[in-house]
Amino acid sequence: MSTPALRLRGIRKAFPGVVAVDGVDLDLTAGEIHALVGENGAGKSTLAAIAFGELHPDAGSVESNGTVGLVHQHFELVGRLNVWQNVLLGREPRRGWRIDAAAARERVRALSKANELDIDPDALVEDLPIGAQQRVELLRELERDPSILLLDEPTAALAPAEIDGFFASVTQLARRGTAVLIVTHKLQEVIAYSARVSVMRRGRIVAAMPTAETSVDEIARAMVGGELPQIAQRAQTTPRPCLTVHALQAGSAESGVTGIDLEVRGGEIVGIAGVEGNGQTALADAIAGVLPYRGSVRFTPELSPKRERSRVETSVIPQDRHVEGLVLNFSIVENAVLGRQNRPGIRRGVLLDREKAREDAQAIVERFDVRAASLDVKVRTLSGGNQQKLLVGRALIDQPHFVLAYNPTRGIDVGAAALVQSRLIETRNAGTAVLLISFDLDEILALADRICVIYRGAIAGRFDRANVERAAIGRLMAGSQ
Amino acid sequence: MSGCGFVESGFVGLVVSLVLLTLVKSAPIVYAALGGVISERSGVINIGLEGLMAAGAFAAAVASYSLHAGWVGLLAGIVAGAAVGYVFALAVTKFKVDQVVAGMGINLICSGGAAYGLVLLFNQPGASKTVPQLASANVRCLNMNAGELVLVVLAFLLAIALHVVLYRTPWGLRVRATGENPLAVKSAGLNPLRFRMLAVITSGALAGLGGAFLAIGELNLYSDGMTAGRGFIALAAVIFGRWTPLGATGAAVVFGLFEALQYWIAGQVAWLPADALAALPYVAALVALAGVTGRVRAPAADGVPF
Ligand SMILES: Nc1ncnc2c1ncn2[C@@H]1O[C@H](COP(=O)(O)OP(=O)(O)OP(=O)(O)O)[C@@H](O)[C@H]1O
Ligand SMILES: [Mg+2]
Repeated sequence: MSTPALRLRGIRKAFPGVVAVDGVDLDLTAGEIHALVGENGAGKSTLAAIAFGELHPDAGSVESNGTVGLVHQHFELVGRLNVWQNVLLGREPRRGWRIDAAAARERVRALSKANELDIDPDALVEDLPIGAQQRVELLRELERDPSILLLDEPTAALAPAEIDGFFASVTQLARRGTAVLIVTHKLQEVIAYSARVSVMRRGRIVAAMPTAETSVDEIARAMVGGELPQIAQRAQTTPRPCLTVHALQAGSAESGVTGIDLEVRGGEIVGIAGVEGNGQTALADAIAGVLPYRGSVRFTPELSPKRERSRVETSVIPQDRHVEGLVLNFSIVENAVLGRQNRPGIRRGVLLDREKAREDAQAIVERFDVRAASLDVKVRTLSGGNQQKLLVGRALIDQPHFVLAYNPTRGIDVGAAALVQSRLIETRNAGTAVLLISFDLDEILALADRICVIYRGAIAGRFDRANVERAAIGRLMAGSQ
Repeated sequence: MSGCGFVESGFVGLVVSLVLLTLVKSAPIVYAALGGVISERSGVINIGLEGLMAAGAFAAAVASYSLHAGWVGLLAGIVAGAAVGYVFALAVTKFKVDQVVAGMGINLICSGGAAYGLVLLFNQPGASKTVPQLASANVRCLNMNAGELVLVVLAFLLAIALHVVLYRTPWGLRVRATGENPLAVKSAGLNPLRFRMLAVITSGALAGLGGAFLAIGELNLYSDGMTAGRGFIALAAVIFGRWTPLGATGAAVVFGLFEALQYWIAGQVAWLPADALAALPYVAALVALAGVTGRVRAPAADGVPF
């Protein structure tokens, strides 16, 4: 027990313009869950990749006693293969020279049952919602049963109920002797499940302690190096009509929506609360116009007296930043103007005004605290949370009439989450209509003026901010009255 | 010939002869298309099919000529295709040359190399001397020689075999995963570049076999430009067949049918210019591709270096 399962000493790793990891010592003990927390860009993923052996450190040593597995922050799955093919890739059960598909299916089914990660082994991965893809990624590592398991934000896309199930199986693993490192931004998880916690800031470990001796507040202060920012105040607004959805039907029978009525007015945030997979994706895609639907989705053209334009300006914060949001090989500037390239400030005649585009990107970076070595680095090199902040910034910077925000704080640290939430409230205060779809009920309760609970593709209940009942919402989300 | 009456007479005879001609004309395209499928499923766009076919055809003619044995020519065609495929594979994996650029390079080098080789080895430009065929005896009633028959049957057997390999074996699964997301393959502890190498070499061998069919199956020589764009037609068949072995084979047969039709029509309608008729398969490929856009997706990492 006393010799660590994984031992990192003096790890340092620099990228052009930034020292991502700056002299880190870290020990993982067999049978123990070790939490690693820190701001976006603190160097957590880089450290995990070094421990896994995927990245070579500039200096320092990695000693491991056993096999190492890593669940990546951004999934590495093959979309057009199904679940069992992804989970068992490279370790396919055989019958003679062929793959034994029945055995493979059974193995994945048993594994998902044992770990309470519900999944259909034959589902095509690209059709799965992002939470289910996360489960596939987890199952793949669990199947290999490494003695040291590194988990980079494994719960970022899981629903609360799944998170409990997930930690139950991780705790099981630890009890059987696996050393676990878990990177997360959800500090309650740290308190509830980890034995030790290390806090990273700007590439260094700035605090390390047994979890029993600390608290959410103390960890948060260590992360940001001070107090957390306050969330912006909601101002009095006079809501005006903006989006009216009537009898909306879209998507498949299992995961689509079946007749939704919804109104989102300028100057208010409407929150859609629900467990993932109850039609949120179909609702968002239909409203965004990328999924065919029946029923009506109407925007009211005359929105605000100040905006005489006939066009309704809308923007989307999509659920998967890599697939639908960003062009990873483009720079920050290019991504920032993407979709906004025709705005008067940015276009000059038929050309892009590069200077203006830079200034514009700089404004987003400052206002949304995107941390990067420069405006010209590829977005691929940003940490996950900073990619997300860029995406949010691009959607909000122009004060559109309508914003569709899908899990806007996914993968963002507590400090930055407070910032993004503040910006959403400020956007609302300025008269924008915001439709917030989130799996995090606390986020919805903190932001929404009105709340609709979605269950099996229909609205199961509606609440005003004045009369929310958390327990009642929770019951509706679970499908009971 | 006698004793196979129905083949010879009337409308039925016409249809049967058209089917047989179609099979002969499609076989080389089927081979190259299968090569295209396996290469593209591993994530390598194989623009070089045309050149690989030429390499196979030339090597088959040379080997068959010098050793007076058709079957040696056939082996030589396969080996030459695989060898050029190996060079292509190295270029696009190890040296990360752009796949389209490398493929065009293969086309130029192979057709140019063969033209030069003709002068060097046969002392004459344009075409080789006549060389022994794989098997020149005519098959009774079928209007093709034994070598053609064997290779036609082999083409369709290989299509089924490739289907089974791609969809039923661990190796096939890994190749397909590599074509979609090589990173996922890497994090499964496998080396995606290995699968790409093997897939591209196999692709070369198949295209080489298609070339050999032309030189020593159907004909008995190598001549400049004898592949006549079949490698590119095969590429169209890959897309039309949605990157699946059976689909691509079906598409190759459709293109083969148009090639066969051209001879058949020429027999019926004398006033049509031969050049216009010769364009038939290419027009068919163009129309097929135009109709196919939007409905199908290439492997996600097709053409993306790793
Ligand atoms: N391949 C790369 N090239 C250049 N810079 C990189 C690269 N990978 C990471 N970085 C930089 O290193 C720093 C640390 O990034 P890392 O992804 O480790 O952060 P993180 O702590 O995981 O953040 P998050 O919570 O947002 O995921 C960031 O400034 C990031 O921009
Ligand atoms: Mg990270």
